[in-house]
Amino acid sequence: MKYAFYPGCSSHSTEKEYEDSTKAICKVLDIELVEVPDWNCCGAIDAVYSFKPLYSIALAARNLAITKKMQMDMVTPCSACYFTLNRTNKILREDAGTKSKVNEALANIGFNYNGSVRVWHLADILLSDIVLQKIKEKVKIQLTNLNVASYYGCYLVRPPKICNFDDPEHPTRLDNLVETIGASKVDYYGKTRCCGALLGITDEELALKMSKDILLSAKNSGANCLATACPVCHFNLDARQKDIESRFDIKINLPVLHFTQLVGLAFGIEPKQLGLQRNCVSPRKIYPLTMTSVS
Amino acid sequence: MSHEKDKLTAEAKTIQIGVRKKSRRDFIKEVMKMPGGEKILECIQCGSCAGGCPTMFAMDYSPMQIIKMINLGMKEKVLSSSTIWVCSACYTCATRCPRNVNFPTLMMSLRNKTIRENLVKDCAKSDFHKYFFEVVNKYGRFHEPELLVKFLDMTNFDSLLHNARLGLRLFKRGKLQLRAPKIETSWVCSILEKTDQKESQ
Repeated sequence: MKYAFYPGCSSHSTEKEYEDSTKAICKVLDIELVEVPDWNCCGAIDAVYSFKPLYSIALAARNLAITKKMQMDMVTPCSACYFTLNRTNKILREDAGTKSKVNEALANIGFNYNGSVRVWHLADILLSDIVLQKIKEKVKIQLTNLNVASYYGCYLVRPPKICNFDDPEHPTRLDNLVETIGASKVDYYGKTRCCGALLGITDEELALKMSKDILLSAKNSGANCLATACPVCHFNLDARQKDIESRFDIKINLPVLHFTQLVGLAFGIEPKQLGLQRNCVSPRKIYPLTMTSVS
Repeated sequence: MSHEKDKLTAEAKTIQIGVRKKSRRDFIKEVMKMPGGEKILECIQCGSCAGGCPTMFAMDYSPMQIIKMINLGMKEKVLSSSTIWVCSACYTCATRCPRNVNFPTLMMSLRNKTIRENLVKDCAKSDFHKYFFEVVNKYGRFHEPELLVKFLDMTNFDSLLHNARLGLRLFKRGKLQLRAPKIETSWVCSILEKTDQKESQ
């Protein structure tokens, strides 16, 4: 299998470990990822769209136009990019007026695009029947000591007309993955609640409270680690966890892993190669027993 | 044909809810043309949006109230409300709405309108969009440190200390990429120039 890989700005910089672990497990699974050459920011949900809507659509369309030339489906590990790129596809397919305006701008830099490239979320690829079977075969260490709360967040499942990874109210596909690698799934209240996303920058107080509710509900339901599928969610739940603890005067200390890091651990890949040393809440206590003796 | 019919029912509803002043009617019509505003007259005030909203505790008017206020043509109150800036665009409301009102997209369109018409009250929130745009326009990609520095409140010692702690934590883990991203960005300006022309049309 071969896909055009669009990492997105977050997975490429602050959350580099997500990109690293993605590449590491895809190598094991024989999925070839070809990075989209000279890709640019997709417009990040509402960040650019609220300021210059047409410009933000053109930004996303440029990435898709490059991918069209590659003649491959696109895959992105970032839920926010997944939403933004698919929204762009939908707008360009349905709104002829916007399409012609955007294409005029794209023509300026030698591109043309009509909304034809299929955009997948990385989780969608890894959870297809064939790949899931392959994951099952490649698991070296069963992560039986883990109770994993899978966190879907917003853009993996909502809005269902654009992001149809799973049921928007009660998704279960990531839980299947968790069980495939030998861990137990945890059902909890916050799995599709919003983490605050970009509000973390403009209204931190608000975002901290939203993330706190998710972390506490997972912890109180018996989880000893949380798996995310989006770099923005991971930043809010992991890097800001210390801030949440000091702001609300509570102890959480719940390791938050990218779901690719969990799969990597089950494959027996070195924690360092998965970038686990970069997670702000140390995941050391949840390493499989065979590994703790190694590292 | 069906499009014509939709338009007629929409007109009828506008009269039905008793909005007679022209300025108010104009606002409703304008919102209906925005992305996300197409279905606002269909709202039945069921409250599904407000019930599921994760940020409602920080809003001055709930999503359902905002829709009602738009339907009554209350332009100033809608555009100066905190709701349009607090919405985190999680799409819970749009997913649950039985009348398919696309509330989060409408909030983005209203933000755009307030920014374009200089009606912004809370500068910090609208500045975020401006800064984000500036950073992307400069590098082609997003560069966190540059945006965060622009948001630092130099007069507030507590917030400075707090941000320094976060920065240090990220730095220790090798998460702070101080080097700006490098891509071929000459094209960015030409896209901007073209879309800007179109946007003002």
